[in-house]
Amino acid sequence: MRDSVQSLTLTATLESLQPALAFIRKGACEAGLPETRTSEVEVIIEEILMNISRYAYPQDTAGDLTIKYWIPAPGELRFEVADQGRQFDPLAVPPPDLTLELGDRPIGGLGLVLIRSYADSLTYRREDGWNRLRFTISAGAISADH
Amino acid sequence: MLKDVKIESRQVGDRVVVQVAGRMDAENAPVFETHCESWISKGINNLVIDVGDLAYVSSMGLRGFVAIGKRLHDKGGKLRVCRQTGLVKQVFEITRLDSIFPPHESVETALADI
Repeated sequence: MRDSVQSLTLTATLESLQPALAFIRKGACEAGLPETRTSEVEVIIEEILMNISRYAYPQDTAGDLTIKYWIPAPGELRFEVADQGRQFDPLAVPPPDLTLELGDRPIGGLGLVLIRSYADSLTYRREDGWNRLRFTISAGAISADH
Repeated sequence: MLKDVKIESRQVGDRVVVQVAGRMDAENAPVFETHCESWISKGINNLVIDVGDLAYVSSMGLRGFVAIGKRLHDKGGKLRVCRQTGLVKQVFEITRLDSIFPPHESVETALADI
């Protein structure tokens, strides 16, 4: 399994959430990630999938997304999530102000905070009409920003 | 692994304890929000959310906490969260929601903080 790339293409809709999570749980198991790290991957993939389903494609147009994973080294799992929707670099989004009181807090915007915290080696590139977001989860890694 | 969210609630005087178990993801989060909204529409302004048996919460779940918290705040009420563990505790800390909803060790201490 090592070095071989597993790939799953789904319609970018809420209905694809459970198949996507089942797919990445399989990868987490193959890479030997502990349950806690697996849950963190689920949080990341859910956030990316929901972002693509809501914002990437024009309304009433169901586009696809492709999730790939491979195991570059034991205990390490590398992901790429790709879509052909409008260009969106999540790394370019300014982080929200987490010190605001409840009355001033926006309701959303926390998903990217979680992605940045949980994902290592997070990279984005736009390539031939594709958004490609890559990140690594390591079995032993302590999440980067906390 | 429980794939769904299970929500039960009980009224304690003018407050309601909502016990949430399972997973609060994009599919399930609206169920939680709707459940809390139904209590608010009945005039309940103080809620305690017991997340002791909640195994997973994503950003969509967090939206629900913030949205309900703001609704109650606007009405002069409070949202309290108790028994955070594991991933749930962690995401509250990362997003600093633990400063807005300070963690309580038990339902009783959360009720006492309203």
